[in-house]
Amino acid sequence: MAKPKISSDWMGGCAGCHMSFLDMDERIIKLVELADLRSTPITDLKVPDESGVDVGILEGSVMNTANEEVVHRMRERCKILVALGDCAVFGGVPAMRNFFTIEETLRRGYVETESTDENGKVPDDPELCKQTRVRAVHEVVPVELHVPGCPPDPDVIFYVLSELAQGRMPELKGDKINWH
Amino acid sequence: MVNITINGTSYEVPEGYTVLKAATEKGIHIPTLCDHPELTPYGGCRLCLVEVDGFRTPQPSCTLPVSNNMVIRTDTPAIHESRKFVLSLIFSERNHFCPYCQVSGGDCELQNSAYDEGMTYWPIQPNWKNFPVDASHPYIILEHNRCILCRRCVRACGELVGNFTLGVEERGANSILMADLGVPLGESTCVSCGTCVQVCPTGALIDRWSAYRGREEESKSQKTICTACSVGCGIEVFTRHNNIVKIYGDWDAAINKGVICEKGRFLPMVEKRERVLTPIVKQDGKPKAATWQNALEAIAAKWSKGEVAALVSDRLPAETLSFVSHLVGSDKVSVIESAGDATSGLKKPFEGKLADLKKSDCVVVVGTNLAEDHEVAGFFVKRLVPSGTSVILIDSESNPLDQVADVVLKPAKGGEAALLQLLADGKATEVAAKAAELLAKASNPVFIYGKSASELTIKAAVEAAQKFHGVVLGTRGGANSLLTAFLGMEKETQLDKAKAVLIVLADDEPSQKLIHQLEKVPFKVVLAAYHSQLSAQADVVLPVAMWAEESGTFISMDGHVQQAVASINPPEEVKSSKEAVQEIASRLGIKVNGESWKDLLKSKAVVTEIVEA
Repeated sequence: MAKPKISSDWMGGCAGCHMSFLDMDERIIKLVELADLRSTPITDLKVPDESGVDVGILEGSVMNTANEEVVHRMRERCKILVALGDCAVFGGVPAMRNFFTIEETLRRGYVETESTDENGKVPDDPELCKQTRVRAVHEVVPVELHVPGCPPDPDVIFYVLSELAQGRMPELKGDKINWH
Repeated sequence: MVNITINGTSYEVPEGYTVLKAATEKGIHIPTLCDHPELTPYGGCRLCLVEVDGFRTPQPSCTLPVSNNMVIRTDTPAIHESRKFVLSLIFSERNHFCPYCQVSGGDCELQNSAYDEGMTYWPIQPNWKNFPVDASHPYIILEHNRCILCRRCVRACGELVGNFTLGVEERGANSILMADLGVPLGESTCVSCGTCVQVCPTGALIDRWSAYRGREEESKSQKTICTACSVGCGIEVFTRHNNIVKIYGDWDAAINKGVICEKGRFLPMVEKRERVLTPIVKQDGKPKAATWQNALEAIAAKWSKGEVAALVSDRLPAETLSFVSHLVGSDKVSVIESAGDATSGLKKPFEGKLADLKKSDCVVVVGTNLAEDHEVAGFFVKRLVPSGTSVILIDSESNPLDQVADVVLKPAKGGEAALLQLLADGKATEVAAKAAELLAKASNPVFIYGKSASELTIKAAVEAAQKFHGVVLGTRGGANSLLTAFLGMEKETQLDKAKAVLIVLADDEPSQKLIHQLEKVPFKVVLAAYHSQLSAQADVVLPVAMWAEESGTFISMDGHVQQAVASINPPEEVKSSKEAVQEIASRLGIKVNGESWKDLLKSKAVVTEIVEA
């Protein structure tokens, strides 16, 4: 039987969940024995196979139209979608901007910061993606498994991926749930 | 007793119990957020829903009384679903993003409840409504965005502290906590007891001095007693790396049941005085750091037997007080700035217990400022008011209790005793007549007198208590002031003839009066935890422990013998006051015994019955 394929991608996040994934250290070899690691943002292949993968992992929240494309592409190409980390699960740190309007946050970011002045310009090139309200992945597409944590513990990530690679749905409870 | 069945097992529980209380007592866990064992059940959060046969819908176990043959289920799939749903609704109301919160990771009851239900995400997303943050208070931050409106703090402020500062304004999703009639917490009538912080199940009320200094699971905790005053409250001191992280009231403590005041909870957190870290000996008029041995030599060189007096703090453990009294002779020890013992001429015991306040329907307060000096005793009085207990305040000066008292009597200074007598005899006129009337119809009056009450006033209170079958309580002064009075240390200090004075200050701050009083003393030995004007003038300073570093015995104002247990270690060269006095004694070859107060207690009567732990 062919090894299950795993792909990952990231959106509005800090890459910390992928760093935590790497923090499983030598266990990554074990994981590669169990599964076929396909595209990730930190390897050469960036886009999940058009022919589809078994497990798709998403880090980060959905905060603009570009992120929406990433989410939809992963959803279309994977059987089991995993939301990895607080941003993908809840919205996380980026979601704090939902307490303000998008105009307010852009003005703060490009005009009102300590390192910018009134000459600052909010980028408005029509080719740029559009900012949206920040959402958790499950607000945009259905998600099979939520792995919260900021970031999730490497042990938890290894547990989740090794279970999925062996065709089992991981059960997160007790010490394996952490929201911070 | 009634028979109930929980999850298929039958139990017998007392009538009047709630389902929650019955289940908790039988070891069956039902999650709660708004409920607190020391507060009136409220039924606000709906997390404690259980299935009960005969009920169409799940019922809140915290407000449902048990009845005979009730069949309850706490662990069905439907109940777990309802808990998750309730939690989802709570999470969706405000900003409950955990990574930025101080209590996340063990100290948050909301987060813990979600973990217990295995929640990995929020099915309903937040509504992104912005609420203000009130950081106007010197100790407490009120973060409305994390509030779940359980109203534990509101109930604690009213029911436990009797202060009624906190309430809720607006309605529905706009509801927010409010202080008084909508003023910032820092400008409100808040008395900074911090009970609201202690009961808050989330990070909505946090103590700014403890925030981010360590969660409970990262801290060590030590149950001990507060030595700030003579009430003798039980406290729990959380420490991390030998630093105090936070101080909580001990819910299990018989005297205070979890309630403490600003002095116990917050003042130790903002201690800014500089520690004395080595012995200091004055050489050529200048204070110089010295070794313990050199300092003890310097003391021995000036020590002339029988001509040394001692001034002690009334916040020292019994053992230290005994040591000092052996060291200089019991007749030569007096409490710093003692006003004398006004109870010396009275037949003992004549006092009751603080617990007598619980059933009191009329409290007469005389000669004490309960909001300043024995704040928790003041809370005990104030929280009786809503249930109809009348408060009569007799004070020649203004007193914060004026606000809650039914009758405020302001006699001329010294006129308290006569006024009490008039009240007792029913001969009072005008305003006092109303007080006399309240007193006459009371079935359990309590008379509280403080350290400014004269012997005549106390006598009048005792007589009035006898007449109305009431109880007398004396608040006195520091943590061990009942014992210092008993040991005869509450007396005017004669320093004229003393060639040297030993001042055991520990962590007290010396007053100008004390410094002035000691000006002409030829040789001063100060045992202090902190540098002060007095330590600067001392000939020898020995560094001693502050309250959290010293263990020892204390007798509360109503006679409870309690142990203070050190929660942190003192700095390298610092010794406990016991050890320091012992060191002096052994250098001088004087035998001391730290247990002598125990034998004395057995041999003669104290103002109130002694309760051993």
